[in-house]
Amino acid sequence: MTDGIFIAIGIFTLLCGSSVILCKSPVYSAFSLILSFFGLAGLYILLESPFIAVIQVLVYTGAIVVLFVYVVMLMNPNSSGAYRNWIFMIVSAFLAWAVSLYLLKALTLGVAPAVGGAHALSLKEVATLLFTKYLWPFEILSIFLVVMIVAVFALAKQSKETPNE
Amino acid sequence: MDQFDFIVLAVKTLVILVLIIQVVPVMIYLERKIAALIQDRPGPNRVGPLGLLQPVADALKLLMKEDPVPSNVNKFLFQIAPFLAVMPACLSLAALPLGDFFEIGDRKYLLQIADLNVGLLYIFAIGSLGIYGTLFGGWASNNKFSLIGAMRSASQIVSYEIPLALGVTGAVMMYGTLSLREMVFKQSGLLLGVLPNWGVFYQPLGFLVFFVAAFAETNRLPFDLPETEAELVAGFHTEYGSMSFASFFMAEYMAMTTMSAVMTTVYFGGWQIPYLSDEALFSMIGSRNILALIQVAVFFTKVMVFMCIYVWVRWTLPRFRFDQLMKLSWGNLIPIGLINIVLTAIGLYFWDKR
Repeated sequence: MTDGIFIAIGIFTLLCGSSVILCKSPVYSAFSLILSFFGLAGLYILLESPFIAVIQVLVYTGAIVVLFVYVVMLMNPNSSGAYRNWIFMIVSAFLAWAVSLYLLKALTLGVAPAVGGAHALSLKEVATLLFTKYLWPFEILSIFLVVMIVAVFALAKQSKETPNE
Repeated sequence: MDQFDFIVLAVKTLVILVLIIQVVPVMIYLERKIAALIQDRPGPNRVGPLGLLQPVADALKLLMKEDPVPSNVNKFLFQIAPFLAVMPACLSLAALPLGDFFEIGDRKYLLQIADLNVGLLYIFAIGSLGIYGTLFGGWASNNKFSLIGAMRSASQIVSYEIPLALGVTGAVMMYGTLSLREMVFKQSGLLLGVLPNWGVFYQPLGFLVFFVAAFAETNRLPFDLPETEAELVAGFHTEYGSMSFASFFMAEYMAMTTMSAVMTTVYFGGWQIPYLSDEALFSMIGSRNILALIQVAVFFTKVMVFMCIYVWVRWTLPRFRFDQLMKLSWGNLIPIGLINIVLTAIGLYFWDKR
């Protein structure tokens, strides 16, 4: 039963993931991205981590992809092939090949992300870890994010003051 | 879980879904009647006694209308957008506790589709997906007014999700759980012997922030900037007709129902009757199933009170301007929400009772 669900969700996620890069229209790509994130959330639920699944939907599908779609819709969405640059294509293909090779190597070595044996964290455990063991990384990340927000504000304000010619 | 449990779950899901969809026609009638009351006119009174069949007439009218697809729209997204709007609204019902439990033989079944231990987050996560119907519908219409409506909707909903979450965080800290069911149990009894032990009395500030943000999150007046008829014709659903339009309409009402249900559950004691505990009521009636029915009725009464407040506010307050809307979220609601979290943390530290 669980295997069947896993295979179904896996195929769904892979199909949506590949249609993200195969679709000509960026809006369809964004739509596929939403669906593939849903598939990922389903996989997290199968791994008995509903908290991660819900956060996945809340943060990625509910907020970040909204901004993607927003930007895509404001630009001209029907310009397909904006990045038909051979050098880009070759470099990105090489990078993708290298990454997948590395992942394959990790699989054979048995040091792949320990999904099967991983202990599913409950909300309480996540919170405890976040406020004890990972307190400093967490705080540093928050400061980093605040710095970025301030920087964006500063840049946006600067470009407004200098008239655009 | 054996076969019988599975069938009960399926029937339960269907019944809860149908039950909550029935809020839509009731709200169509109430919206018109309350509007009439506020504007000092009779309102619908021709179709059936007291105009009670008006929602049926409206639904029939919408069903029989033509469902046009303009020639320059993106057909796939244009037709899928109404579904994208309704689906999240239906999905978010899964975590709402309508009552305690009912019995078949000696087995107990919860009056809730799934008791998730991340229930509140689940509702927020699914609720945040409702925006895609608006966004894709507005863009696919290939109409500048629709696009502006969709863009407004996106920025409004993303901005107001933050005060919505901040407002409810204080309550979550207090209850120490995200499960909506446990939250209801923690609100039983009396506070200081006078008031019901409801979350709203501990978290008035948090409730205020949540309440205001809930209006913006469901695109209701005074925050219905995505569909301002004076500026944008009808915003994102300008090009839609017939049942496609009705789907957007239904999605709005169901989102309102979900928000009202969350407010009821988190701040107003869910299915519980004030001053009357479940056990006392059970000893009076002597049947668990009748008690369950009473609980569902109480829950829906509380939800309908909030729905009527939604309508009341709609016909009372004028619309915001878009910059005022953003200022209200980022300048007022978010600071109040943060202050509420700090106050709650201090309060919990000193009064470590719960």
